[in-house]
Order: sequence, then structure tokens, then C-alpha cells
Amino acid sequence: MTTATRLECSVCGGQVDVPADVMLGELLDCDDCGSELEVTAIDPVVQIREAQMAAEDWGE
Amino acid sequence: MALSAALVCTGVRPEEKMLASAFEERGVELHVVDDRTLGGSLAEWPVGLPEVDAVLVRAKSQWRNSVLARWIEARGVPVVNRASVIDTCGDKVSTTLALLAAGVPTLASSVAFSVEGGQEQAEAIGFPVVVKPVIGSWGRLIGRVHDAYALETVLEHKEAVGGAPHAVTYLQPFVESGGRDVRSFVVDGTCVAAIERVSRHWRTNTALGAVASGLDVSEELARISAAAAAAVGGGVVAVDLFEVDGGYVVNEVNGTMEFRNSVTTTGVDIPGLVADYVIRRAGTGRASAGAGPVASVPLEEAV
Repeated sequence: MTTATRLECSVCGGQVDVPADVMLGELLDCDDCGSELEVTAIDPVVQIREAQMAAEDWGE
Repeated sequence: MALSAALVCTGVRPEEKMLASAFEERGVELHVVDDRTLGGSLAEWPVGLPEVDAVLVRAKSQWRNSVLARWIEARGVPVVNRASVIDTCGDKVSTTLALLAAGVPTLASSVAFSVEGGQEQAEAIGFPVVVKPVIGSWGRLIGRVHDAYALETVLEHKEAVGGAPHAVTYLQPFVESGGRDVRSFVVDGTCVAAIERVSRHWRTNTALGAVASGLDVSEELARISAAAAAAVGGGVVAVDLFEVDGGYVVNEVNGTMEFRNSVTTTGVDIPGLVADYVIRRAGTGRASAGAGPVASVPLEEAV
């Protein structure tokens, strides 16, 4: 993965790698705490927040 | 003019990112839309969804996928998967009934509507049994139950929790698979790839840590996978199977399949094949899609 930038995990404060080709809405994992994070903005800067927890009817 | 499509999803997972690249490579004007931003009158096209030639619905929520597919079909636009496929795959009872109707080998599943009824069905199946929610995925709330006392606890908890998901108890025989099962991928009637999943846990969901590796698609696997897909209405599905007595039985069919661990392991361009299928569906045009346009009748004329 080509890393464009690193951001602070909104859950644990760890460092999260953001790929160079990041997409709006992309889901990233924090390697430190395992939280799933959602990209909420990519322009002008990438922003992330904790992703929504899985609901009962989520899945394949 | 370039073909246009929408990919509706709940956040962009590796699958959606691969699909977006596949559509881009094929020159499709793709709109990636978060399902949580959509809404509007059911008599109109969904607000927030660009008017496109076809829609690939991949929301994480089964209910939302169903609603979106039915809504978009009602507006006459091709949807992948079709609403009927999403509904059949999203409900394990519907899946079982569809497989049985088509004569596809599947596990002998039962249902019960009370604690006592559940006990009776489990005794008939023979312990251990597997208790599953009718609606659900990723191995959530699936229980392997070894005796009547443990089952009583599980069923009483379901009854105490209540609500629609626990109104029906769905039971299957436990298959001693050695922590291994097979997943095949079917696109438009053809089994395009397969993996085997091995886990130290009895549940073999990759979401729970099972390790996937590529598996050659035998003639029998291709045949039963295609038959299972046809039974639920075709489209793009992943079929979960066990090997029993030298043959395959279908466990589940997934209508919004995940494949992040299966492209490199199989060497098959699954997202590309899905994109090609969506493009073919788009080519069928609005007139032949779903149930056709919704007739709008003013209230004063309708009453």
C-alpha cells in the first residue's frame, strides 16, 4: 500500500496509514486498536471518524 | 455516451474499491453512493442517487438492500442483484425453501416457534445442532449446541430478547467438517472461482479469522454452485458448501458477496466479472428491468 499520509485514530490516538488513492467513504483499520474508521473527507484534507458499528441485519 | 452505473454501499470496503477500479477500467461513468444519504418518495427516483443505466446495491444492511432494489426496479432500472435474489438470500428460510424446490442438495434445516418446539426439532435432528438467526451474517449469533440443556438456555435467551429476529428458530445439523468449508462464486450462471476456508474455530467465516486459499473448480462444484445460484434467482452470489460423503451440500447462499480474500488467492478477477455482468444488465435497458415503471395516479382519481 502506498501511504499518502498518516492520521491519528479517533478512537485510540494511534497512527493510521491512509493510502494515496484513498476514496471518500473508504473504511480503514487502525492497526493499534482494531477500530474501523471511515473517511469523511478527502479534499482539501483527509478526515476520518469511527465507522458505524455493525447492525443486526448487516452482512453478505 | 458512456454507460453509467451507481455503486450503492455503506462505506467503501476493499470490495467496493476493487469494483470502482473495474468499472473505471471499462470506461463506465460510476457514481459511488453511500446508502445512508438516500431517501425520498417511493413514487419517485431516490433522492441522492444519480439517474444511471444500472445500479449495483451493496449496502451492508440486508433491509436497505432489499428496499433499494425493490424501489429501483419499480422505477424500471436494472439492479444487481435483483430484489428477489436479495430477499431470498437474505432470509435463511427462503434460501432453504428455494434450494429444496430446485432439488439442490442442502442441509436438513428445520424451524420452530417456541422453546418446546425447538427442543423437539433438535431431538429429531440429533445433537449437536446449529442454531442460527434467520436474518444475519458473518457468523453472528450462530450457536453450536451440544445438548438439550444448553439448547434450552439458548432458546430461552432468544425468547427473552424477543423481537422479529428471534421469533423464528432456525436449526441445522452440525456438520463435522474439520473447520473447513468451501465458498464458490457464481456470476450470471457460471461458477467463476472457489476458495476453501479453514479455521481453528468451528465457524469458518473469514470475518472471524478463517484463512482462505484458492480451490480448483471441479465439474461437480461448478454444477452444484450454478444450481444453487439459479435456485435463488441468479445474479452474483457466493455459495457456501460442505463436503459430505464425497459430495457437496449447500449451506448458505450470499447475495451481497464479499471477495477481498479471494481475488489474489484464486487469481480470478471477480470484481471485473461482476462489473461486466452489471454492464450486460445495463444493456438490457430500462424497459426490460424489474417490474417496470410505477404508474402515478392522482389521489382524487384513485379513490
